[in-house]
Amino acid sequence: MPNNPSMAAAIVGAAESNKIGYIEEGTTATRLHLEAINNVCKQTGISPSEIDGVFSVGFSPQIAEHLGIHPRYIDTTGVGGSSFVMHVHHALAAINAGIIDIALVSHGEAGFSARKNKGNGTNRPQGDDKWSVPSQFEVPYGIAGAPSNYAHAMTRHMHQWGSTKEDFAQIAVATREWATLNPRAVMFSKETHPAGGPITVADVLESRLIAWPLNLLDICLVTDHGGAVLIASAEKARSLRTTPVWIAGAGENMSHWSMMEMQDFTATSAAASANSAYKMAGMGPGEMELAMIYDSFTVTAGITAEMLGLTPRGEGPSLWADRKASPGGSGIPVNTNGGGLSFSHSGMYGMMLLVEAYRQLAGIAEDGVNGIAGKQTSAKTAVVNGTGGNLSTTGTLVLVADD
Amino acid sequence: MAYTKPIPDPEQYTFKPYWDGCKAGKLMLPRCLVCGRMHFYPRVLCPHCHSDQLEWVEASGEGRIHTYAVQHRAFGGWAEETPFVTAYIDLIEGTRMLTVLHGVDPLKPEEIKIGAKVKIEFEEASDEVSIAYWRVVE
Ligand SMILES: [Zn+2]
Repeated sequence: MPNNPSMAAAIVGAAESNKIGYIEEGTTATRLHLEAINNVCKQTGISPSEIDGVFSVGFSPQIAEHLGIHPRYIDTTGVGGSSFVMHVHHALAAINAGIIDIALVSHGEAGFSARKNKGNGTNRPQGDDKWSVPSQFEVPYGIAGAPSNYAHAMTRHMHQWGSTKEDFAQIAVATREWATLNPRAVMFSKETHPAGGPITVADVLESRLIAWPLNLLDICLVTDHGGAVLIASAEKARSLRTTPVWIAGAGENMSHWSMMEMQDFTATSAAASANSAYKMAGMGPGEMELAMIYDSFTVTAGITAEMLGLTPRGEGPSLWADRKASPGGSGIPVNTNGGGLSFSHSGMYGMMLLVEAYRQLAGIAEDGVNGIAGKQTSAKTAVVNGTGGNLSTTGTLVLVADD
Repeated sequence: MAYTKPIPDPEQYTFKPYWDGCKAGKLMLPRCLVCGRMHFYPRVLCPHCHSDQLEWVEASGEGRIHTYAVQHRAFGGWAEETPFVTAYIDLIEGTRMLTVLHGVDPLKPEEIKIGAKVKIEFEEASDEVSIAYWRVVE
């Protein structure tokens, strides 16, 4: 690969907003962004005035103005929850090209508070376009929200590969186990949420049907969440007080936007984006010691495991089977924050993947705020995959701990 | 009985012949004059060969279920109709459409067959707009 950008930059810090989850008193997307930015700047010792590239889903000019900075690189890529993983890819390219030294990737989304605030404070463009493809050809058929669409992929997977609802339910069970080690997880315990604490396969199967074959516990949370990571050039990264986590590989791709154009309902472009990332890193799935996999739904995670080469085709849920991906399991740990299913998911979850992957590989997953004994793994490498839209867009990273 | 579910406001440029077709009880699809392939949703350029030479032809209105789901939660007018079965249909012309399936029992999802034959039918939603649905015929 000419001018391979592998290891040209590192994630040097990762933080959340002051509060995450179901914020009872309410908040706004802007507050969530800025709290997280403030926290990651304090963590790293990087001043906002040193940030020369700003990456977010649609909100970069507002963030820069809030900070009173004049970035040389402004990226608003918004292709769903995978966007944040792609922002890291873009930041790596910009840093490798010598255009910027320090990139901010920021996320703020008031998924929970938006209801309380009557749809205000979301930073989303208001109003829907009656001539858009969804308005014309999807909404008339009662398709509303991701569960109604993703369910079709699970039905097809069960038909094509012989998987079962029980297979997918195991993903939710294993992910919940990790959430019980993360005090900031919405589903950490019965004290943090009436439905929190450990769950069983039967609990998943007996939870309310939302869009058969998806039950409530197959489906991610809808919370408030802010997060931010800072990415720095190799030279800058080595000068900071925080531990760098190196970007060894990055890739992105898409298979479709409207689900009508999803050729294979049991596959995503993660196969292609992971191929790019592995190739850049000079590594393969067998060398990955941790996986952070977007779990908007159990089916999203299951299919993605196959696409990342972590299981054979059609056997994605086997990555989690028999507690293999659970704390202390015999396989690689997966979604050690408790996932979008049980930790926090504000609508777009990509940032949460990045923050947790950073913490694990920097060795701060039990820093007193974000984990209790058993949450920190020994992983030195991680594959991170975000999925956005309707299984439409994917971004993949291969991250490596500092040696 | 008044139609209470979302009624699209037909786009008057790229999609108009499709909606005019529905109104007339016909499934009209775009076909490329260069590569001969059909597509859906309607495009400005052929998604297969990128030609701008497109025509509209009446499709067979026959297809098979590619995959489906049972919606137990919905919004607006659809909320009154839960549970209902949505499906992606493979048309014999090689394109794919989303629909709500007629002629199936939403409470017995395991009995719905992927690959089952379906036929199109049109429901008058307003004086101006009719909406295509697909019915299982085997
Ligand atoms: Zn063509």
